[in-house]
Amino acid sequence: MLVKEVMRKPVTVVQVGATLGEANELMLSRSFRHLPVVDQGRLVGVLTDRDIRYATSSLCPMPRSAGDPVALAMSRHPLTADPLDPMEDAARIMREHKIGCLPVLDGDELVGILTGMDLLDALMTLTGVTKPSSRLEVTLKDQPGELARLTAFLAGRHVNVHSILTYPTPDSTVRTVLRVDSQQIRPLAEDLREAGFTILWPLPTSRPNP
Amino acid sequence: MTTLIHRPEYAGYDFGPAHPFTPSRIAMVLDLIRCLGHAAPTLAAPSATREEILSVHDEAYVAMVEALDRGETPPSAEAFGLGTPDNPIFPDMDPATRWLVGGTLHGARLLMAGTETRVLQLGGGLHHAQRDRAAGFCLYNDLAVAIRAFVDHGWRVAYLDIDLHHGDGVQKLFYDHEKVLTLSLHETGHYLYPGTGHIQELGSGPARGLSVNIPFEPFTESESYLEAFEDVVPRTLEQFSPQVLVVQAGADAHFADLMGDLALTTQAFERLYRRILELAGEHAQGRVLVTLGGGYDAQVTARIWTILYLTLMDLPIPDRLPAEWLERWQHLLGDDVGATLHDPEPAFPAFPGREERNRRNRDVVARLLDSLLRYWL
Repeated sequence: MLVKEVMRKPVTVVQVGATLGEANELMLSRSFRHLPVVDQGRLVGVLTDRDIRYATSSLCPMPRSAGDPVALAMSRHPLTADPLDPMEDAARIMREHKIGCLPVLDGDELVGILTGMDLLDALMTLTGVTKPSSRLEVTLKDQPGELARLTAFLAGRHVNVHSILTYPTPDSTVRTVLRVDSQQIRPLAEDLREAGFTILWPLPTSRPNP
Repeated sequence: MTTLIHRPEYAGYDFGPAHPFTPSRIAMVLDLIRCLGHAAPTLAAPSATREEILSVHDEAYVAMVEALDRGETPPSAEAFGLGTPDNPIFPDMDPATRWLVGGTLHGARLLMAGTETRVLQLGGGLHHAQRDRAAGFCLYNDLAVAIRAFVDHGWRVAYLDIDLHHGDGVQKLFYDHEKVLTLSLHETGHYLYPGTGHIQELGSGPARGLSVNIPFEPFTESESYLEAFEDVVPRTLEQFSPQVLVVQAGADAHFADLMGDLALTTQAFERLYRRILELAGEHAQGRVLVTLGGGYDAQVTARIWTILYLTLMDLPIPDRLPAEWLERWQHLLGDDVGATLHDPEPAFPAFPGREERNRRNRDVVARLLDSLLRYWL
């Protein structure tokens, strides 16, 4: 998943000469929290709702007023992302620097913005249920061909796979969660067990004492 | 009294001998009712027309079902959910499904005409079928076609789904409709098909707060299930004040059903049926349209749906299963069938972890009610 697939566009910006009052009005009316600041089309900073609140607070050593320009409250030289960066790289930068957004630059051109909320949307797309499907949870050995063996088995049953998530576990296996297009998940799990797979869900047909 | 809708053509909805959704489930119920001496005349409803199917389904999808019936083999069939392990292609799918839809729709018409207040459709309940695709053994959504007819009649409709699985097709078709409340109780979609039915699915636009889901932990037993039902369903119906109650009465939440992991007993089902009738009386002028649904253990579905029938007909529930019936269906009943209509008590030894499970169910209900109250106040 690339930044360009996840980012928000077109991006709403303010000019460097705009006032804090105007920027605040814009963010309130559009209900967002991050505004790239541009000077003659070039990105020069990022202004957040928190920047405005602090800059205009009595706790600030030099409190600003609504009529002051945004340049007095924005962060300069913001970190940016490239539209072709993988989403996880952008997430890592945001996490490491504890920042809420990355303006996306294609060369010098501001083409979008990626926020923490967009990353949550991406997580929901990755893990969510978009078609009726059942959950199958399998522990695979961490070695070549294991996932292929599993998907080949499903292909042999003509079972369509809607999504696959895999992640490493502390005991060096690979936890694999599939969403498959079948309601008849239990017989499928039994057959997989017979073929030597370790199935975590659904549980075996012989349940706790029924 | 209850009007019973059924016709022999329902048996044509048959995915084949290896498939769990088998029409013999209905034949066993009808025979059990007869053997108990309570056979009632059934009403044979007309088939739904193509136009009636199109009131909830896309033309392209219906055309695909028809093409498959003509023996064509379009490569895009699977994109419509057809020819998959769940929905294999069988002869005359379109007419077979239209008989079922027609029955449920006819039940709706009887209620709208005011000639009946209780209707039991002995079939249908195809709640997974979506606007543009087949899903989970369901080709056309008979429940949604009936609900659409009620809505066109100007009624507010409450849909109640007690199948093991989330009633996703019906929910999705009316997700933004302010005259349709959908209420589904099911095993949580975190594990089970179709993967939806979470408490956050609350409806959209003018129907915000009119999609209500109670997802249960796997291995939830009767007591916890009924407690959640009482905490949510009566007040939701009171709030919405429907003119009719449409019920999908799937029987697969029973403990012996291997399609999932809910653990209700037949006694819990009887209790549910009686409460549904009471609630229909209190909040829907007594009008209730009940269909069948999921249920994949023959000896269980036969007993549960017979209890459903007897309850709707205000008949006493006999203790014992007739020997004649047991003999005739021996080949399908398996070894688990006892001698009684109800489950033995206790039906099974307690599952471990019950307290933890019940607490989690109560927490889910509390969160759901917190969300719903925002839209009700």
